Order: sequence, then structure tokens, then C-alpha cells
Amino acid sequence: MMGQLRRVAVIGGIRTPFCRSNTAFAELSNLDLMTAALNGLVEKCHLEGELIDEVVGGAVVTHSKDFNLTREAVIATELDRRTPGVTLSQACGTSLQAALGSAAKIATGQIDCAIATGSDTTSDAPIVVQKKLAQRLVRLSQAKSFSEKARIFMKGFSPSELAPVAPNVAEPRTGLSMGQHTELMAQRFHISRDAQDQLAYESHRKAAKAYDEGFFDDLIVPTAGVFRDNNLRTDIDRTKMSTLKPAFEKSERGTLTAANSTPLTDGASAVLLASEEWADQHGLRPLAYLTHGQHAAIDFVNGEGLLMAPTIAVSRMLDKAGLTLQDFDFYEIHEAFAAQVLATLQAWESPDYCREVLGKDHPLGSIDRDKLNVKGSSIAVGHPFAATGGRILATLAKILAENGGGRGLISICTAGGMGVAAILEGASPAQHAVH
Amino acid sequence: MPGTLLNLKHWRLEIDDENIAWAILDQAGESANTFGIETTTELGQIVSAVEDAARRNEARALIFLSGKENSFVAGADIREFDNLTREKDIEDAIRQVTAMFDRIEAMPIPVIVGIHGFCLGGGLEFAMACHYRIATRDDATRLGLPEVKLGLIPGFNGTVRWIELSGPLAAMPNMLTGKMLRPTAARAIGLVDQLVPGKLELRWACRKAALQRRKSKGAAWWKRLLSYPPFRGILASRMRQETAKKVREEHYPAPFKLIELFERFGGDRRRMAMAEMRYFTPLMVSETSRNLRRVFRLSEMLKNEAPKGGPKPQRAHVIGAGTMGGDIAAWCVISGMEVSLQDVSQDAVEKALGRAKSLFKKRLRGNLEVNTAMARLHADVKGNHIARADVVIEAIVEKLDIKQKVLSATESKMKPGALLATNTSSLPIEQIAEGLADPGRLIGVHFFNPVPQMPLVEVVRGPDSREDVVRQGCSFVTAIGKFPLITKSTAGFLVNRVLGPYMFAAMERVEEGQPKEKIDAAAAKFGMPMGPIELADTVGLDICAHVAEVLGKPAPEDSQLARLVASGKFGKKTGSGFYNWVNGKPEKEKAEYDEAELDRLGQDLIKPLIDECEKCLAEGVVADADHVDAGVIFGTGFAPFRGGPLHYRKSQEQETKPASAPHAAATATAAAE
Repeated sequence: MMGQLRRVAVIGGIRTPFCRSNTAFAELSNLDLMTAALNGLVEKCHLEGELIDEVVGGAVVTHSKDFNLTREAVIATELDRRTPGVTLSQACGTSLQAALGSAAKIATGQIDCAIATGSDTTSDAPIVVQKKLAQRLVRLSQAKSFSEKARIFMKGFSPSELAPVAPNVAEPRTGLSMGQHTELMAQRFHISRDAQDQLAYESHRKAAKAYDEGFFDDLIVPTAGVFRDNNLRTDIDRTKMSTLKPAFEKSERGTLTAANSTPLTDGASAVLLASEEWADQHGLRPLAYLTHGQHAAIDFVNGEGLLMAPTIAVSRMLDKAGLTLQDFDFYEIHEAFAAQVLATLQAWESPDYCREVLGKDHPLGSIDRDKLNVKGSSIAVGHPFAATGGRILATLAKILAENGGGRGLISICTAGGMGVAAILEGASPAQHAVH
Repeated sequence: MPGTLLNLKHWRLEIDDENIAWAILDQAGESANTFGIETTTELGQIVSAVEDAARRNEARALIFLSGKENSFVAGADIREFDNLTREKDIEDAIRQVTAMFDRIEAMPIPVIVGIHGFCLGGGLEFAMACHYRIATRDDATRLGLPEVKLGLIPGFNGTVRWIELSGPLAAMPNMLTGKMLRPTAARAIGLVDQLVPGKLELRWACRKAALQRRKSKGAAWWKRLLSYPPFRGILASRMRQETAKKVREEHYPAPFKLIELFERFGGDRRRMAMAEMRYFTPLMVSETSRNLRRVFRLSEMLKNEAPKGGPKPQRAHVIGAGTMGGDIAAWCVISGMEVSLQDVSQDAVEKALGRAKSLFKKRLRGNLEVNTAMARLHADVKGNHIARADVVIEAIVEKLDIKQKVLSATESKMKPGALLATNTSSLPIEQIAEGLADPGRLIGVHFFNPVPQMPLVEVVRGPDSREDVVRQGCSFVTAIGKFPLITKSTAGFLVNRVLGPYMFAAMERVEEGQPKEKIDAAAAKFGMPMGPIELADTVGLDICAHVAEVLGKPAPEDSQLARLVASGKFGKKTGSGFYNWVNGKPEKEKAEYDEAELDRLGQDLIKPLIDECEKCLAEGVVADADHVDAGVIFGTGFAPFRGGPLHYRKSQEQETKPASAPHAAATATAAAE
């Protein structure tokens, strides 16, 4: 078991189109979306009836009935029904974390193939009853006699108990939304409104161009009659963007707007990973290899920037890989907010930040911005939390394959002050050693 | 005793550890199940075996399921009935099945049926004999009794049972129109008792229903009440009125027979069941039903022109946003494709998008579907999407040099293996293909106006067109839910060529002073969807004049057609032509004509059309006589109950030779004489 580690191939990935919440996918559940993505992958990689060693993934916003979401989705697909499904979550890092876990098992020989998947919908959000009412209902169901029931039902009852509790995407510890936290980061790192708008603008432009070139055609499986992401603005107007009102910090200090943040989005993704032997046996060609992964967390409760954890994850991963931040041909930094990306880049350039937070004598330095999110990212295509990791893995693997090789960095920030990072190496021609 | 019972070819019968008997239909050698002699004989064995097991307390419930991926039972096997020409043989065959269904209904243990996929005709009549029906919500599931579409009424007591389950108010209109219901609609009228999300849940829901001994409750008392006087008579006359608005009894007797059956016997289970057969059998041997079944087979024949399997085209690029191009694009979107629409100006494309949206609103359900469809339709003035398209259709102005230029510029941008087709109606494919690097890749796909309504598309094979490309064209046409007809690249292809002589001869009659209303009435009486003059106005007189030119017989300058066209009166679209058009309807002078005279005139009117069909057959414009008939029926609406123009002429000829009339029933056609 502990012999030579095997290389982990990214065979291919696919996703549903991403749709803004309560639009085209309003009637679909996480189970529907994840099933659609998995079936898309089955068709793309010819996996009909195939027994996959594990399918791992999950969703962030889920119903309690979805406790076994991934396995349930597997049952509804064309895969061999004896394929196990593991449901896990690491917020927006879910499907990337799923891939990293399975990759480690493939590397050690524990398994030969796996699918990492993620789905999210805020159209089918779990709206629950208040705790008081829930407790009352439980007691009610245990009551034996009618009079006992009546007593439980009436005692101390107030109509306000009936108000449903909608889920919210605020941080439980701070009560601040992601956007409010990111606005704090933007203030600390002095990220200007204009720089954020420009990044968002470029994200749309690059994604639109990639669409027109057909880049996404084999990365998206049409779902419920939808062929393309409906958040994408092909006609985006740079001047109009700058007229939008700030969305989180409403005063003139506010820099985050609806245009430079991701909207709530519905969608799912799936990526097939395998050992080289397995790929070979199945006539599949690796697009890239997943060589490193790292996650980290940050103490945001005591005031650190909530979405700054990727800076730590990437820094540690680079140390282990023996690489510098500049040793990459492509960077895929998830655009939760334009400000998050810009704050991350600025932090790596900052000697103070790198010394204090990353424990480095020298800053990690800057990156060539032309290599960043070359096909657009979450601001343009949308961000169904758990699906984003799978989207980025599949996109970067295809970019590397089309490039004929190279190296790519993935960085994803998550709620709860965590970050997940990974390195993909192109499949050809030059091969970098696996550590 | 648990285990497999009987050794059957098409069914599996096993009793499980809980003493539930499971009968699974998986017809050998077929992709869909049907009820034929073999499958129903085996079903009879199953019923006997389970009756025995129930008597010995070894079976506590019986559950029926299908072993097919996406089909329950698509109906009775009509082919077998074609071999039965004597009414008595048909009655014997029916009696065996209905008696068995009665035994299923009388089974002392619960009989549950799980339905996924098509459950039609005899399949639904069988399901209705079971005690409790569970269906999947899957989009593949459809339930209905479409017998009237084949000139029949339900024959396995479906009329009786459906009325009992849903009441006549819900059941009768569905049988009269042959509608195929979605699962939710079937649940709403009590045709099924329970819905489950999909196939995975079906067997478990059936098990639970069996253990709980669930039984369908049938229609509420007040719904049943409508089967009794005075409501029954009122309902019947109302339904007769509605049906007469759509079809003539002399052409399509089946729905009227169904109404009569209900009117006379509704509410009396035993008598209605017996009468059903007496009404059914003459229809089954009638020429009308034989012809309608022939039309169904012809449609299957056309669909089979497309090779089975293979990837479905997903993206289409349409060049030319005129009426035709815009409608083709919109139709492709409705069929689920992503479509880019190109024209020289953004304005032209925007107009087409607007028209598409109103079509989507008519055809699709709800704003969500309309918006989703609009999101699949892209304006693409620069042709950016050509490289992504699986199918590229050119529908621009009928000018050879422009077509050649546009197509050669398009060809260079297309991905390999994508289909390139022109919607030309008048130019030879081989000439349009001249400018291409690969002339063999071009075919014609000739749509008819209005695209959403017309089921036929001519797939035109130029002399250089490659066979695989022609077949790819057929696949595209079937993928958008139309019937492909492969034709040679000759003037007018098939449909316009046979319509031409028919319409121009009728116009000549108008020139000679015959009332156009009479001409149209005679053609409608023959069974055409509308008369030739009204048709000319509907198609557009400018188009008619153009077709005349294409066919090499341009309208004389002093003809009424030429005069109307010259004065800009193109028919329906301009508000006047041969007729004045008000609110989309032609103003016709009321007049009574002698019925026999109309019949004679109808024959005369249709003669040039059939003559031209014979020429097309001789010249090999399409593969054979069946293809001529199929093309003319689906391309022009030629009286389906007559089985197609060549078939009609043949049966007329046989009739005039009394010695060779093997089908006594063929005399039914004489009704039109």
C-alpha cells in the first residue's frame, strides 16, 4: 500500500449550465441537478453501467432529506447501481475537497477511479419551522390522549411561532453576510471599486468569448432545456457597471456591488478522476494530473479576513511542491467577489502580510494577470457553492489539455474562513515529477 | 411457494417471499410491448396460474409491470387485426381478451399495475381492468386511448371502464380526440390512482399498495350521474356538435359511433360492454380504418428513414431570418435545440425573435418554458456560432449566386461532420453546391409553411449528395419531430409539383366562371383540409406564381392569378386575393350545391394531382408509391382516410372491376360516389 504513489489523472468533467436562482432551474432540486451532471459525465466519458469506486460530493444548502444526497443521485444515474456515494461538505470548496480526498486514495492504490461532484440550488432552499414550533410538534406527536394533545398545542402558543425560517448565507458566528465580510477585506486591503469592476468586466468578456469559441460546449450538459449560463452578460457595459449602488456597505465607502459579486446560483458539476491504468483500460485519455492539494483555515472570528484562507493554503502547498507562485501557466482563483481575488493577490504581494500571516521572509510576489481566469470565472458564469470546485477542475484540465501541457493553480475560498487549493499538471508533453 | 411460475416467452411470473405475484411483460424481440395473440395468450396463462395460487392462499396480490426501459404497453398489435377480414374472427379474438380482462378485474386478491412509459390503447384498457393504477411522473409516461386516430373505437371495454373511472365528462372527450395524457392529467381525472417520481420507486409503491389492498375508488357519484338521463343525452348532443366542428361523419365515422354507443348504452355496464364490440367490428374492417392504419404505417416508414441511434443534433445555425428561416429556427428551439439565427441586419433577426416568442407562448407551458426557450435562441449577425453548429440551414433569398456565396463562406467555418442544408424550393441542389469545397455534403431540407403545423420536410438529394449526408438530414428532421421524405432534386420536388397542376387547374375553372366557393366545397367534401382556391390564398398568391414558374408553367399575364399578384393582392397575408379575408377567415358566399355534383367535381379536381403523382412515381422522384402517398398526405393534407392518392386510385380501379373485389368492405369507399 505504501509503495510508489500513482499519478491521479483528471479524465474530464462536465456541469449543468449555471442559472441565477429562481430562474430556469426554479423547479429542480439538488438531487435533480446532481443527477443531471453525473449523467452528463456518464455520457461524455461512456460510463454507462460502469462501477465507479466512489462518487464523493455534496451540497451546501440542503434539506434534511438529502442526508445521503450523493448516493441518491448515483442511484438515479446510468452508473452501476452498486457505486457507493459519499456526501460531504466544505462549503464552496466541497467538490474540490471531494476530488482531493479521492485523489489521495487513487494515488495510494486504495481505489482506481472516482467522481467528485457538487450541486447547489437556492431555488429549492430548505425553509424550516422555528425551533419552538418544531419542539411543540415533536411533543404533540408523542402525546397519547386528545386532551394532552390539545394542552400541548395551546400552551403558550403564539402565532409568531408559525413564521417559517428561511435559510441565510450569513456567517453564523459573526452574523455578517459573505458580502459584508468581503467589504471589510476590501477596506483593509484598499481594493478600489474600479479595480473590482474591471475584474468583473473582464470575467464576463473572457467567458463570453470562450462561449463563442465553443470552449464550453463539451463542458456543459444541457439541462431542463437550458444550454448556457444565464448570468453571463455578453453585452456587458463597463460604464453602466460603475453606476450601480453598493450592495453591502451602503455608504459611499462601499465598493462591492451586484455586478462585481457572484449572484445566488443553481447548478451542479462532476469530474472523473482515475489512475492511469484505469483510464488506459477504459480507452480514456487524461486531460491533466492532479498533483497537489491543500486546505487551510483562518481565525476570522478574531478579526482576520473571512475569505483570506486561500492565501495560507496556497502558500503551504507551494512549499510542499517546491514551487513559487510564479511557476504557473494558468491561475484559477474562484471569484466569489472580485474583491476577494484582488485582496488575495495583494496579500501575496505584501511583505507585511506574508511575514505576519504566512510566516515568510519574502512576499510570494505578483502573478501575470494575463494568466488569471482565462475563460472567465464565477462572477460571469455564476457560483452554485458546492459545484464551483468541479467547474474549475474541469475547466482548468481542458485549458491545460488545449495548451498541450503546463501547470495550473486552483484557489477557492469558502465560508467559515477556509480555503482549498490544488495544482494541476498538463498531461503532455513535459511531465513534472509527482511528489 | 416463492419462485418462478410457468415458462413464458414474453412474460415473467414469479411469487416472492411475501407471496406477492409479480408479472413482468418484456416482449421478446421488440423494443416496446404490444398486446398480440402471443402476449395475451400468455397473459391468460398468468391469470389462471395466479387464480389457482390465490385459491391455495399462495398468492396474496398480483402486480403487473413492464420489463422495458420506457414502455408499458403501446397498444394492441394492429398488424394482427389486418389479417382478420371476417367480422366473426375479429369478434372471437376480442372476446378472448375481454373475458380475460374481466377475470383480472374479478380476481379475489388485489391486482396492482405499475405504469411507466407509453400506456396506450389496449395497454390502458388492460390497466383499467386492474384494481389500482400507479404511474410514474416521468415525461416518458403517457396514457390514452388513441383508437379514433386509426378510425376505431376502443375495443377491449375501455369505453366502459374509463367512463366508470373518470365519469363521461372527462373520459369521452379524451377518447373522442385520442389524446395522450401526461401522468398528472391522468391522476387529476382518476385514470390513475397514485403517482411516484420515477421508475425506481414504482415497484415499491406497487408492493405497498398490494399489501395495503388498495383499490381504485372510481369516479365520484355526481360524475357517474352524468351517464344517466337526462344528462347523457345532453352530453351526447354537445359532443356530437364539437366533433362535427372538426371532422365530417362521412369521412371519419369512429368518433360519432363512440358518441352513439355512449348515448344508447352509457351507464349500463353489461350492455355497453357487449355493444362496444358490435360497434367496433365494422369499423375495424372498414376501408376508412384500413386507410388510417396505412397512414400510421406510412408515418412510421418515413421516421425509419433516419438511422437508429447516434447522437442527436444539439445546435442549429439558421441563415436567413425571413418567415421561413425564423420559423425553422423557432421550431428547432421548441424541439429542444440551441439555435443561432443569422441575417444581414440585427433588425431582421430581432423581428424573427419576436415572432418566435409569440410561437413559444402558444406552444409552451408557462413563462419558465418560454424564457428558457428564448434563452436557447441567439441573434448571430456575424455568424459566430457556425463553428459550433451540428446543423446549418440556409433559408435566404432564392438567388443562385447569393446562395452559392453564402454557403461557401459558411462551409469553411463549419466543424467537420456537421450537416449543411439549403431550404431552397426552386433551385437545383447541385447548382447551389457548385461553389462548395465539398459539393457532396449539401442536401436540401424543404420545409412547408406554416412550419409548426406541417409535419413533412422534404430531404432533397442532389445528384452529388452523399448518402450518409442524406441520412443525417433525415435524423435531423426526425429529431425535430417531423417526417422526412427523401426526394430527387427536380423542379418542385414532390409536394409542390403535385400541388401545382391541382391548384392551377382549379384556378382555370375560376377563370371559366365556376364559383370558387363550389370548387372549395367540392374539394373539402372529397376530404382535403381546405379547397384549392382557399389554399392558394393561404399559401400566398405570389408564392403560387413563383411555383408555377419553377414548374415551367408560368401564369399567363391575363390570368386572374397574374392580375392579383400584379396588384399586390397575395391572399390571406394581404387581406385579399381570390377571397376577401377578414380576421384570418375567407368571406365565402353562402350557396347550396347538389351533393352528387360536388362529389363528381371533387373527383375531377383531384384528378390532375393524382396524374402528377403517377408521373412522379414513374420518374422516381421518391422511392416508391408508398412514399408518394406518404409525401402527399403529410405534405398537402390529402384526405388521410383515403390512404393516399395512388392508393386511392388503385382502390377505385379495383372497385370498377367487380370480379376482383376481394375486400367486400372496400365498398365503403363508395360512400363518396
